[in-house]
Amino acid sequence: MTRAWPRKADRYSVAVLAGILAAAAPVAALAQASDAAALTDRGLALAQGGQPQEAAKLWRQALEASPDYFPALFNLGYMHFSAGQFEQAAPLLARATAANPDDFNAHYLRGVVAQKLGQGNEALRAWRNALDLRPDHFQLMQIMAVEYGKGRYHREAAEIAGRALRLQPGIEDLHYMAIHALREAGNLSEGLGLATQTAKRFPNSARANFELAWHLQKDGRFDEALPLIRRAMELDPSYEEPHFFYGDWLVKQARHGDALVPLQRAIELRADYMPARIALARAHIGLKDWEAALDALDAAVQLEPRHPQPHLLLSQVHFRLRDRAKAREEKELSLKLRRQNPAFLEAVQSRPFPD
Amino acid sequence: MRGLSLLPLCLAALLPGTLRAQGVASSNAQPVRALQASGLPWHASFSDAAGELGLDLEFTYGGTEAKRYIIESNGSGLALVDYDGDSRLDAFLVNGSRLEGFSDGDAPSNRLYRNAGEDGFEDVTASSGLGRSGWGSAVCAGDFDNSGTTDLFVAYWGPDALYRNNGDGTFSEIAAETGVAGLPQQWSSGCTFVDYDRDGLLDLLVTQYQQFDLETAPPPGKTSNCEWKGMPVYCGPRGLPFGNVTLYRNLGDGQFEDVSESSGVRDVRDYYAFTAAAADFDGDGWQDIYIACDSTPSILFLNNGDGTFTDYATEAGVAFNEHGFEQGGMGVGVGDFDGDGWLDLVKTNFADDYPNLYRNNEGLYFEDICVRAGLASNPQYVGWGVEFVDLDNDGWQDIFQVNGHVYPELDHQTKISETFVQSNLVYRNLAGERFEDVTALAGPGLAQIRSSRGAAFGDFDNDGDLDVLVMNMSAPVSLLRNDLSAGHHWVRFRLQGTRSNHSAIGALVTIKAGESSQSRAVMSQSSYVSHNDLRVHFGLGQAATVDSILVRWPTGAEETFPGVEADADWLLVEGSGAAKAQP
Repeated sequence: MTRAWPRKADRYSVAVLAGILAAAAPVAALAQASDAAALTDRGLALAQGGQPQEAAKLWRQALEASPDYFPALFNLGYMHFSAGQFEQAAPLLARATAANPDDFNAHYLRGVVAQKLGQGNEALRAWRNALDLRPDHFQLMQIMAVEYGKGRYHREAAEIAGRALRLQPGIEDLHYMAIHALREAGNLSEGLGLATQTAKRFPNSARANFELAWHLQKDGRFDEALPLIRRAMELDPSYEEPHFFYGDWLVKQARHGDALVPLQRAIELRADYMPARIALARAHIGLKDWEAALDALDAAVQLEPRHPQPHLLLSQVHFRLRDRAKAREEKELSLKLRRQNPAFLEAVQSRPFPD
Repeated sequence: MRGLSLLPLCLAALLPGTLRAQGVASSNAQPVRALQASGLPWHASFSDAAGELGLDLEFTYGGTEAKRYIIESNGSGLALVDYDGDSRLDAFLVNGSRLEGFSDGDAPSNRLYRNAGEDGFEDVTASSGLGRSGWGSAVCAGDFDNSGTTDLFVAYWGPDALYRNNGDGTFSEIAAETGVAGLPQQWSSGCTFVDYDRDGLLDLLVTQYQQFDLETAPPPGKTSNCEWKGMPVYCGPRGLPFGNVTLYRNLGDGQFEDVSESSGVRDVRDYYAFTAAAADFDGDGWQDIYIACDSTPSILFLNNGDGTFTDYATEAGVAFNEHGFEQGGMGVGVGDFDGDGWLDLVKTNFADDYPNLYRNNEGLYFEDICVRAGLASNPQYVGWGVEFVDLDNDGWQDIFQVNGHVYPELDHQTKISETFVQSNLVYRNLAGERFEDVTALAGPGLAQIRSSRGAAFGDFDNDGDLDVLVMNMSAPVSLLRNDLSAGHHWVRFRLQGTRSNHSAIGALVTIKAGESSQSRAVMSQSSYVSHNDLRVHFGLGQAATVDSILVRWPTGAEETFPGVEADADWLLVEGSGAAKAQP
């Protein structure tokens, strides 16, 4: 199975977080006119002066005076988060959201801490609460779409990515996030519709042309896909995906000789492109060019020694060369690597988010 | 305090991570829509004739609304077999049970239905001696004692059963006394008679799905191997103890010897084995065995010709899919879909995955051409019984596949867009190049939505086209009668070994008719743990005669027979040199 992954997914994270953090309310504004408030304000001044330990002491004193005092809970939780002390931050932020359920930042930060603790579902629940408070926060929607995807909640990812896209249809990357989520959710018909709209909106985008081509091929319309693949290659000669996709399709059609050039180009553009290296080896195998196949597979092994697939194909090449001893050796190595690194060759299941 | 110094921490937190699989192996495959339709008419129309012909068994197999343990989910196989030698295919149906058991006398049992021609099927279970109750799973057939009648082996969770055909309409259960009953608590899941040592006696291979014990099996939802897309379901197969393979050598004196260790079949470890299909895949004259395995690499035992086997599935390209993913293998069909004389494989798999169409490249290796061949359009189904069968007698073997999910709980939720009952599929073979989904054109029998498992293929009404018998979970059996209107010719051969085993299981028949050449194997088990008609059926298209017949007998010897007229049954006796017309 061939998948086209987002090329620049991590850009979202940088931009989105910067936006969210910049929009956070000043902590001082949260303080109340009480002992707890006074202690909290003094703590904030200390923290801003570079004395976090002293600040923390004052916030703890504030909480002794008023255990549900939100600014102290939040600041202390935030300080632990900043120091990477997520275990300590989590209960403080849980108390903060209970003390002030209407604070977007507390829910958001609680979600981030939960995510750092590997509690993806808890993170999503916190972010759902945050989103209820700021239902137009498309940046948070992007973060949630990624997290839903990580949890294999692809339908939810598709839904929220689509929601973000409706808010900001001019942001190109949002289109790809939504298309990717729909693909993972198995909703290819909606994905094709969105890819068509995206290509129309961004006709000079290589990615937009490629995404539409991908969906058309899945829809059995490769004749329509091919011009778009070629256009994507022209629009961005450094974009490796169309070359791999085209080459891989040719391999699947047993047009092994035709597949060599696009696959080699994909590897030139991205030397660590493992699927392209595997596909190139398969093309050589299809051509019965055993020496080239062995070279391609050896290169793949050098690139990723833990990956079982090159060894599996090496086993098959040696078997076809009637060297059963070498075939067995490579097979055993492939099986061993498979056991050691199961994530390389295991597929994921989409599932609904547990409410 | 809320400065940009936090950014690296958050960024790392939000990077996509690596995800692991849950439960059954699958590839999250998306449907690949077929290329342009051929526009050719399709003439094979199926309708369910089970009820009108007296096949009245409603299968019992575990809970109907939910299944607590994996033993309830896999269903069973069935057989189309002429047990009484009247040239009509009878139906043997393997049945299951329920965890809560039954009161005395109420337990469902296997059923044998005698084909009485125009009078339909007659339930002869009681008089035949085949009416055993329990968790039956698989059936294979063959004349293991060369008595001239076809015997049956039935695999169980529990002791297996070997039924010797007494030739008078009755069977005697002799598994324990012949040494093939297995262990009391083993879960046998597949079987095949095979003459692996070419001594003219049918040996027996039995697959075990897993070591299953209700006392120790975890309850639904217990671990990550007990959920399907977030829904708590029964556990397994992953996380449960692996199965095994047992090979019994027929000693010819009414006894079998367990040669599992000495033959090498126990050298392979860690798999959940289902259907076993024996044939000569590499063309060396010795019988090989392919085993479809669930969530683990499938197995190809190549016969070394010295009483031992070696698994070359990985090397030969039939252990995984083309991307190296383990698959949830269930059923396997064997045929020569491209007419090159080499036996190809089609294997069904779990949901969100494609089947495998393994094309045999001159016996050297296999290539999975499923996507290119047009079989990747329905990954939403859990596939079980499958076979290469020339349904329209055009001379090209089509594919019939039956489907059904394993979790009835799916029908009681809305978050996952899958259902326990699923459609079956018919793919037309377009001149050996690719396949085309013609399910919608294949008649009301294909509109049935059930959760099917086993499927057996054969011409029960002897009208010259292939029909299908289907096991349905907690539903009546289906007998999908093929009403073919193409006007194509056909021919059928029954083989009889003399030096080879009497059933000629393992023989390969190759015919030439006009420009075309076709091959078929005589097999004891394929599809999903089921047994097809032992007669080999060829569609001939417009050809009214067969020009030549070549039989490679299970002993390895080749014999040529002169051509015959089409639209008839013929008997090929080993060493006779001439085909004999059958009534």
